[in-house]
Amino acid sequence: MIKVSGQPVAWHDGMTISDLLGELDDPHPYAVVRINENYISRPNFDKTTIPDDAEVFLIPMIAGG
Amino acid sequence: MPDYELKLVKTLEYKRPAVDKGYVDQTLYVNVSDQTMAIKPVDPKTKEVFIGGKGYDLWLLWNAVEPTTQWNDPQNTICIASGPMGGTPIYPGSGKSIVSTLSPLTGAAIDSNVGGYFGPYLKFSGFDAMEIQGKASEDTVIFIDGIEQQVQIFSAAGLPENAYDLSTRLTEHFAAGKPRSISVVSAGPGAKNTLIGCLNFTWYDVKRKRARYKQAGRGGVGSVFANKGIRALVVRWDSVTADTNMPADKAALKEVAKAYSREIVELDPKQNEMARIGTTHLVTIMNDHDLLPTHNFRYGSHPQAPNLGQSVYRLLFDPGFDGCWMGCTVACSHGIKDFVPFTGPFKGRKVFVDGPEYETIAGCGSNLGIFDPHTVVELNFYCDAYGLDTISVGTSIAFAMECFEMGLINETHTGGMDLCFGNRLSALELVHQMAAGEGFGHIIGQGVRKMKEIFATDFAAEPAVMADIGMEAKGLEFSEYMTKESLAQQGGYGLALKGPQHDEAWLIFLDMVHNFMPTFEQKAEALHWFPMFRTWFSLCGLCKLPWNDIVPEDNKDSQEPAKVMKHVQWYTDYFSAMTGRAAAPGDLIKMSEAVYNFQRIFNLKMGFGRRQHDSLPYRAVGPVTELEYESRAERYDAQLQDQCNVDVTGKTTAEKLSLLREFRQAQYEKLKDAVYQRRGWTDDGIPTVAKVKSLGIDFPEVLELLEAHGVRQ
Repeated sequence: MIKVSGQPVAWHDGMTISDLLGELDDPHPYAVVRINENYISRPNFDKTTIPDDAEVFLIPMIAGG
Repeated sequence: MPDYELKLVKTLEYKRPAVDKGYVDQTLYVNVSDQTMAIKPVDPKTKEVFIGGKGYDLWLLWNAVEPTTQWNDPQNTICIASGPMGGTPIYPGSGKSIVSTLSPLTGAAIDSNVGGYFGPYLKFSGFDAMEIQGKASEDTVIFIDGIEQQVQIFSAAGLPENAYDLSTRLTEHFAAGKPRSISVVSAGPGAKNTLIGCLNFTWYDVKRKRARYKQAGRGGVGSVFANKGIRALVVRWDSVTADTNMPADKAALKEVAKAYSREIVELDPKQNEMARIGTTHLVTIMNDHDLLPTHNFRYGSHPQAPNLGQSVYRLLFDPGFDGCWMGCTVACSHGIKDFVPFTGPFKGRKVFVDGPEYETIAGCGSNLGIFDPHTVVELNFYCDAYGLDTISVGTSIAFAMECFEMGLINETHTGGMDLCFGNRLSALELVHQMAAGEGFGHIIGQGVRKMKEIFATDFAAEPAVMADIGMEAKGLEFSEYMTKESLAQQGGYGLALKGPQHDEAWLIFLDMVHNFMPTFEQKAEALHWFPMFRTWFSLCGLCKLPWNDIVPEDNKDSQEPAKVMKHVQWYTDYFSAMTGRAAAPGDLIKMSEAVYNFQRIFNLKMGFGRRQHDSLPYRAVGPVTELEYESRAERYDAQLQDQCNVDVTGKTTAEKLSLLREFRQAQYEKLKDAVYQRRGWTDDGIPTVAKVKSLGIDFPEVLELLEAHGVRQ
């Protein structure tokens, strides 16, 4: 089990960020996702796996500057 | 006995007016040439049109200078103002000061938005703004004592040169046992000996028991300050509460402030963690999206960039409350305690370093090919202590390093220094030389535009190459974002009034990553709305960060998530609750539009402000060298094929580079057309008479200036 923005979500072995976003009912085009204290950007969503028990935060649009 | 002397030269006694709805309706004038001091009323028209902050600064500056005034003339004026909301302790990000003057880098008006307590304390002491003119014949300290209702001018001797020790010493001197009642503004030896000087504005950190500072960095405002012979401004004020600003509707203010503060406390830990890691999270995010400048903006990523990322600074930052204004729940002004520099006058001495923020990390780190976080921290520390802008320092050294690697300059020019990218000792040595006004650092301290002239004239370097790779526009060094793949951000930098600083428009993600604005019209609309809304923060004494760095959870489902309209509405409510002036969100844009167009016309007054002045170095638009092209050949080939109908088969890199350049430069010119049209400007980028009339800035001298440039009714 992982937590996504505070809500429990089922976890499976090898789950990537892309997998997670595909499973969520949320069409927002996230560019950055935080797993615990690590910020992961969209170019790395396919290759970044989420560990079990992780806290995941879907970061809103980066408005920067 | 102190090892310095402050000798009182003159005192102005005054009666402090009561603050009313965020204003005191008067400004302070000080001439350091003859120690003249005067108090000027703010007339209702000025208040209505210019709002406060940057608006007041620009109006005072406009009236103080002539088209022929140079940055180092006594007539040039430094203006500092907060704004009607500046000094509100319950609404996050409400403690900003805005500094304006004629910039030594651009020759036009510059504005810099900075934290610390000075602007709010100045207002509570009785002045919405202060303007400083003249040149002192000896080192000068100006003390505004809002409690005793006196302004005093001191001649100074023996004060520390560096801002780090100077801030501490003057805080102790004037505090009368209450250091939180003091804010100091100072520059430093780097500001005195370069054109890229910054100003340090202090706030007192009660927990750590020390004066800390934020920087008004851009455009050489510190160099003007030092050139005037001013060592410091000091203001003293008493305690601050929600009542100090005397809001028109305190209940409404409290309601909106509470909602905003609560949201930040709840959501920041789930979003960008500004209160824990500041803006350092941007380093790896920019790197991952090919947007982090490395090696003088050649590339947007580097495998070692994570060495400079938030995971490192998370460990280095001293945990605790780091708000540069009271009660701000964003609290992003982090610092590092017990840092021990390994070079320079502080070598071996434990110091507290304020920062680094993203811009400093990118400018003094990746853009120099330096991926050692400790070197970045040391560069950060010395830039602040010497009064140097970390952005201009980084971008200027990066340019020199690339010139060195290209063979445009060599060791005979650098005093024997190896200036290859990544040479951290050389980077530090250059900063020390800037402070001393010696060696090759003295040349770099003139900024990129002057370096290009010097390298061409004295070292026979090729001007055309330097025009492409020297990252300045309007004379100001670029701040630290890659723009090659975002046409909208090329406009964000190239069309910014003061030069390429991201506080006016930051559209890279919306444009490049999200592709929210594919057409020229959409880009032009964004290059209207965002600069206007961002300008508004500096009219009111506010920080931009709370607006869109922490956003409501349902923001993504709103119609225009990039604008964060819920927050725009809250700011509108805040403005009305403070000033008593009824407003809708669109009115905020109108307020900014008046000041923004006035600033554009101010540029015109100073000999700039036309289409030709909105140009960019080609490095900001596309790949300059074959190596750059080849590093992202797939991307560039695809653009040539898909958007220019060019068959790239069999073409050399040089041929493709040339075709791409032609295409991209034409795109940028088309963008200018679209933006000028949206802003109500002529094809030459000048506001029309109808535009200035609609904004209430049709002052006789404005109309005369437009007429002189062929813009008639």
